Amino acid sequence: MHKLLVVDDENDICDFVKTFFKDRGFHVFTASNGEEAISIAKKERPDLVLLDIKMKGMDGLAALKHIKELDRSIKIIMVTALADQDKMHEAYKLGACDYITKPLILDYLEQTVLKNLKG
Amino acid sequence: MSSHKKAPSWRKLQGWFVEKLMDHQGGISPLSPNPNLFNTPLPDGGVLQKQDYQSFLEAASRTMIRFKKPEHLIKMIVKTIDDQLKVMHTAVLLYKEEKKSYILIDSKGTTGLKIPVGFVRLSVDNPLISVFSEKNSFFISETGILNYDDIICGLRNRNILELQPDLYDNLLAIKKQMDLLKAVLCVPCYFKRDLLGILVLGEKISGETFNREEMGFFVTLANDAAMAIANAQLIENLQQKIEEVKDLYVREHRIFIHTSIALAAAIDARDQYTHGHTERVTNYCISIAKELDGVPEVANYKNFRETLQISALLHDVGKIGIPDYILSKNGKLTPEEYEEIKKHSIIGATILCPIKELSDVAKEVRHHQECFDGSGYPDGLAGNNIPLIARIIAVADAFDAMTTNRPYRKKKTAQEAVQELKAKSGTQFDPVIVSAFLLAYEKGNILAARSPAR
Repeated sequence: MHKLLVVDDENDICDFVKTFFKDRGFHVFTASNGEEAISIAKKERPDLVLLDIKMKGMDGLAALKHIKELDRSIKIIMVTALADQDKMHEAYKLGACDYITKPLILDYLEQTVLKNLKG
Repeated sequence: MSSHKKAPSWRKLQGWFVEKLMDHQGGISPLSPNPNLFNTPLPDGGVLQKQDYQSFLEAASRTMIRFKKPEHLIKMIVKTIDDQLKVMHTAVLLYKEEKKSYILIDSKGTTGLKIPVGFVRLSVDNPLISVFSEKNSFFISETGILNYDDIICGLRNRNILELQPDLYDNLLAIKKQMDLLKAVLCVPCYFKRDLLGILVLGEKISGETFNREEMGFFVTLANDAAMAIANAQLIENLQQKIEEVKDLYVREHRIFIHTSIALAAAIDARDQYTHGHTERVTNYCISIAKELDGVPEVANYKNFRETLQISALLHDVGKIGIPDYILSKNGKLTPEEYEEIKKHSIIGATILCPIKELSDVAKEVRHHQECFDGSGYPDGLAGNNIPLIARIIAVADAFDAMTTNRPYRKKKTAQEAVQELKAKSGTQFDPVIVSAFLLAYEKGNILAARSPAR
């Protein structure tokens, strides 16, 4: 069973994405900030992280850097708003493998996660 | 989250809905023609009479149209459904032109099922959207609602599988989209032929299916919401158009003023003796006009300030038609040459004449050399028959002419020129304008051409 970590400072998003991927056979963890994300990543070693690029406190890029330092094999997909797309250049340099733009199409969310787990 | 117990009776639901419409969320106008309509007691018994049900809906829809912001209405619809119908979750997606897709704008529901606001969108080619845009779609029941149960029935139908594989694939695609959203019902919001949005409903917590009456209620809610949204969009578009027109007007007006200034500068440049003349005359005119504030003749003049400014800028535009040798003649003009110069006010008016919007300006330019006693040119008008702005320009023009050097005479000092204006008040000049000029002069608002003559 694939382990997925969902990081977003909006609880509604964490809850919804958790249910969404649980229904699709994933083991899902959620974190509502960068620090929490790092500690769960350390403990649970997820296969893939869905990481919101813009969060209060430690932002997505900083969390990305820490998780990648912890374990380079953890795949990280950034979740961005349209206005933050320019940050992806930095995110790719730090080791992100893909990104999804909010508001997203649920099909794409599923496909993007599956594609990156295979690849 | 409210406690989801058992489904309420129809009467209770409608009563609650009316209450929400009536409360202070901004739903109902205080000027409502008949606010008591909602307070009419409903007949006893669990099920409403058909007639009352309809009148309730009519009243509700009239109220909805008065919602100032469609988002309030959407929020209220979502809240009503969540509180009263006991569904796992519900959401509304609206079409957003700038994103070219349907965006989730409000939702409610149990943890993990509530779809986060702003998180999800459906593209226009999504089967869940296109199913509503296709006419006579097989999947849609006569209520207009897309029902998950109908899709499942269709997929179980062997005839469809064997004889209509395209239809079968489409059913599968729709099922998949409904599964993604965990939707049991999708209710379209149409305005005319346009699909403005869809209302998504999850399962009832009780596991029961939605009945006919409930579905009818959803359709009515959706249609009324569509009306409110369409109205709000129309108003928004209209306001945007008004802003655009305003901007355009301001820009064109600015271009026009600058064109007039450029033209005035061109005239000034040709006549070396009157350098800066137009600018000074325009400034004097504006200072005089300030002192005339409140005079009825000014108040009744349409676009007074603007016409004054443009007329002052262009009062000598007719000098374009005067031969160079006369304009730059170093010495006194012969009577013939003077007659030629006098034509400039007519030429100016003729130049401006084809510009319909400047008909007032053309008139003022034509008469700026008239005298108050009727001895001026070109038409020998007298008194208030001379247009107001022409009378103002006459004073400003004379003052500048006197306080600048000419080939045939030295300039006067400002004080001397003022004396001259006073002396000719009532003969050459309108006494009202001269007094306004004197007021402005005393306040230091008339700054004559530099370097006083000594």
